[in-house]
Amino acid sequence: MIDNVAWIGTNWTYFRVCESSNMNKLSSDTNRWLLRPDVVATIVNDGAVILDLRTKFFFSANSTGWAIAQMFETGATRAEVHAASSKWGAVNGDAVTIDAVIDQLIAEKLVEATTGTGAGMSAVTVAAWTLPTLNKHKEPLQRIMTSAFDPGLPLAE
Amino acid sequence: MISDVATPAASEVWYSCGPVGLSLVYDDPVLQQALHGLLSQYDAPWPENKINIRVIVSSKQPPVSQPPGAGTYLSLTRLKADRRGSRLVSCGNLGTFMEYDMAAAEARMTVPENPDWPLLVEEVEHHFIMLLARAWGQAGWTPLHGGTLIAPGSSRCVILCAPSGVGKTTLTAAMLRRGWRTLGDDKTLLQKEGNQVIGRSLAHRFHLHPNSSRWFPEAGDITKWPTYSRWTDKRVVRIEKLWPGCLAERAIPGAVVQLLRDENGPALAIQPLSREATLNTLLLQVAIPSDAEHARPLFSCIASLAANIRGAVFKIGNEAFADPTTAERIETEFKKLLS
Repeated sequence: MIDNVAWIGTNWTYFRVCESSNMNKLSSDTNRWLLRPDVVATIVNDGAVILDLRTKFFFSANSTGWAIAQMFETGATRAEVHAASSKWGAVNGDAVTIDAVIDQLIAEKLVEATTGTGAGMSAVTVAAWTLPTLNKHKEPLQRIMTSAFDPGLPLAE
Repeated sequence: MISDVATPAASEVWYSCGPVGLSLVYDDPVLQQALHGLLSQYDAPWPENKINIRVIVSSKQPPVSQPPGAGTYLSLTRLKADRRGSRLVSCGNLGTFMEYDMAAAEARMTVPENPDWPLLVEEVEHHFIMLLARAWGQAGWTPLHGGTLIAPGSSRCVILCAPSGVGKTTLTAAMLRRGWRTLGDDKTLLQKEGNQVIGRSLAHRFHLHPNSSRWFPEAGDITKWPTYSRWTDKRVVRIEKLWPGCLAERAIPGAVVQLLRDENGPALAIQPLSREATLNTLLLQVAIPSDAEHARPLFSCIASLAANIRGAVFKIGNEAFADPTTAERIETEFKKLLS
């Protein structure tokens, strides 16, 4: 975690700690994760918007964040995501950010552990590698609506 | 297939609701009359009804014994809807029930007796709105609760988003007087068409508050028009009677404006919306069901639209339109957003 190592000071130390942290995650998290079926996504410009139909929260992902999320459509392990990211152009120092995106997908319960095997992962491609981002939008959509056309509650007149 | 439970004395009526046609079989002419206001409001002309649904509405039959709705598809204040395979089932608080067989394009509705007739009718209306929203989705359209204003001499429009009661219709009327046109004041259908999203008109009747006459004297006495709901003083107004030539059938959204009412603020205050807030503003005006298959095309349409248009918040003060320069300033800002 960046917060834990910031006081250490040097870039060299920072990356060593990150790599160490990453190795711990890779060795401790061997789960295969699958995007929940009630999570929908749509490609927008160079990334995607992801909507969790259970919580009604939605997320914006850049192109590489979306590529990572896409890997979970057919199921992927953390190690497989890191391996794919390397092929897409990620370097060692990017591992913390990649893990942060995976951690967020898990923490938000957008993915769930599965026992299946990964399939079709090679279909995910990235044109140019950038650090992946996944931003949760602050306001969820309505869970209870007024009508199937007008979701909002009317104001008193 | 849904079994026909209508009585031999049932009457059949037909409504065109944009791309969806409804053929309704009633056994109660009073209920038929009560629902006419809702179903006749979707009066914008369409080239064809892509989907035609037969609906049997039974109020003289014993209520169907059904488990209570869980709201796994949509949870509304008046009813809960669940998807069961190709069927959409909705149960109302007063015991009303609708089953829409999406594959067969048939629906059956049962309406039990209730001493609160207006509330019962409103609940039945919500079943119909649910049915139509799904049917519009099946026809490839995304229903958006928002008004539209089309710039003079252009096919590009501003989408107005706000909860009911904030002033979409009043603002729309203020711009129609200045030569803008509209697809409608609060109902628009959207569809992805190639790389852009287009909007189409659904209803040409406005819900205008009688107070609007104070700012728009040419509207005359708005209280002469029929009432809309027992919850509001708004009247159902055929807008082209007031501002001839103001209606359009199709436009290309180029901006979205989130409208807020600021009781104590200035007549007009404007702030830009971030890309994220633009998406949020639009999504909050669409009833997206919790079913992934049905949600996906609606979500995709709105996300595509949000990615390609500008957004802004317009805070409108009380009595803003008493000052004619407010509408002038709004027009200037709308044109900037569309440029």
